[in-house]
Amino acid sequence: MNAVRIAWRITRLNFRAQLEYRSEFLMMIAIGAVWQVSVIVFATVLLTRFTGMGGWDSSDVLLIPATRMLAHGLFVLFLGRVHGLGRHIQEGVIDTYLVRPMPVYRQLQLAYFPTNAIGDLTVAAGLMVGALSRSNLDWTAGRVTYLVVCVLGGMLLEAALFTVVACASLRFPAADYWGRWLEELLGTFGSYPLNVLPRAVGGFLTFGLPLAFVAYFPAAVLTGHGDDTGVPYWLAAASPLLGAAAFLASRLLWRWSLRHYTGVNG
Amino acid sequence: MSGSIEVRGLSRTFHTTVRRPGFAGALKSLVNPERVAKEAVVDVTFDVAPGELLALLGPNGAGKSTTIKMLTGILTPTAGEARVAGVVPYEERERNARNIGAVFGQRTQLWWDLPVRESFAILRDIYEVPEREHRARLGEFDELLDLSSFWDTRVRHLSLGQRVRCDLAAALLHDPPVVFLDEPTIGMDVVVKEQVREFLRHQVEERGRTVLLTTHDMTEVERLAERVVLINHGRLVLDGSLDEIRRKFGSTWQVRATLADPHARVEPLPGIALLRHDGLKVVFGPAEADAPTVHQALKAVIERYEVTDIAIDEADLEDVMRAAYVQAEAVSRAHAEVPSGARAEGV
Repeated sequence: MNAVRIAWRITRLNFRAQLEYRSEFLMMIAIGAVWQVSVIVFATVLLTRFTGMGGWDSSDVLLIPATRMLAHGLFVLFLGRVHGLGRHIQEGVIDTYLVRPMPVYRQLQLAYFPTNAIGDLTVAAGLMVGALSRSNLDWTAGRVTYLVVCVLGGMLLEAALFTVVACASLRFPAADYWGRWLEELLGTFGSYPLNVLPRAVGGFLTFGLPLAFVAYFPAAVLTGHGDDTGVPYWLAAASPLLGAAAFLASRLLWRWSLRHYTGVNG
Repeated sequence: MSGSIEVRGLSRTFHTTVRRPGFAGALKSLVNPERVAKEAVVDVTFDVAPGELLALLGPNGAGKSTTIKMLTGILTPTAGEARVAGVVPYEERERNARNIGAVFGQRTQLWWDLPVRESFAILRDIYEVPEREHRARLGEFDELLDLSSFWDTRVRHLSLGQRVRCDLAAALLHDPPVVFLDEPTIGMDVVVKEQVREFLRHQVEERGRTVLLTTHDMTEVERLAERVVLINHGRLVLDGSLDEIRRKFGSTWQVRATLADPHARVEPLPGIALLRHDGLKVVFGPAEADAPTVHQALKAVIERYEVTDIAIDEADLEDVMRAAYVQAEAVSRAHAEVPSGARAEGV
């Protein structure tokens, strides 16, 4: 309980500190929103030029970027500081975290308030409202619950991927560049039904870099395309579970990596 | 809680890739990298008693920071063991963190965007310090470090001197028995340096904290430390009191006397060599072996001769440490040249 209280207190103070630099604060929100311009363009083109994609209705397809964006926004808000760890390592900040009686991962997340997440989440919420209002599905309590769980699972899966990159950064700070590549890849391919992509690419984004589990499979299950994803239905439906399991595994890897941390100066 | 530090055979090896010279060499390194082991700390053993301030000295890259990182739980040693206030730091990092305070002079542990007092309050919550204790300690630190004039300023707007004073206070707010200071006064002006030294002296003498300090500032060592550990190329080459080190390496003193009797028979004294004799003026220096300290020599000269004037020239600690570093370098070189089998036999 004390941990939650401390985390909340630090977050409030960090947020207040950001508010005091008004221009910087507003600019960061704008950056968060503008960063998602490719998704907004995708959604606009999808709705105005096409009736569907890969056998999916446009309204169903829209659920994919909406889910992914919301998961991404929550990731940026709660766990996003794990992205860009290399800079903390180069500056020796990790060393100061290691001499405090608090988990390093938590300290990393509490380092500053991610103002850009407000922009991310604003776009994501708008997109989700748009997707739900155009959807022809019957949004029962079960469906809504599953959607919420999938968004959380997507957030954890994205956090797991960036945590793995962070683990590599603990050993080789330059591994941070892989984080940028990962971010680019998630943004580029995260909005499409993966069955429109070549089979090899779809396979890679399912079993290599499990992007399909963030939003594509959950949206497929929700919209009745769960049997046409190329993986067993149960696997697609278990996407949020996989996100949670991946996050737990990445945290174990983080603990191991931290024990083998060598610093930058030796 | 006992604030002792026990270090036994501590070693840390890093593995790095050797870069070959030239473009072809760089390509070769890419295809067939040559990995080498770099021994940053080798078999280091020492103790620090509760309430003692020990200066850990050595040239740049000697292994001081790596040693401190192992003792604070940041790095895990390759071999050997360490206990800080009874805790193995790299095995129980968080428990160790509650017993220690650490200041790394070149980086801050405060929240960059927050006013200093807010950082102090967060640390109070993290370390679970009761509010009354926190307020009392903050008052004490303010008195010694003059913090209140800038503690409502954000850390990013503080000068270096202000920032390090705040870092020192932050490191001690939870009343740790052991404190690690890695070059805490680097880049500070003399006034602030003196203030920090006074603060540290107070923490050791009045609060009984154990302090392990690394610094290149010999004035700081002279003012604060009674004992010094010198490491070079990762190996401990000297562990002793400042007096012992002066005796061993500070053999550049001279006693200059003006004799009252122009016919006095001037000759060397036990352990004291006669360096010059010109009329009434005589200059004594240490003999090769068993040289006394400069104060013992002064006494011996006064007892033996009737003098009208006497003065001493003594090497300052900087000279002494330079001599110690030079000898340590020679020892390290000799160590590197001796076959490992011979070393194992204690050669």
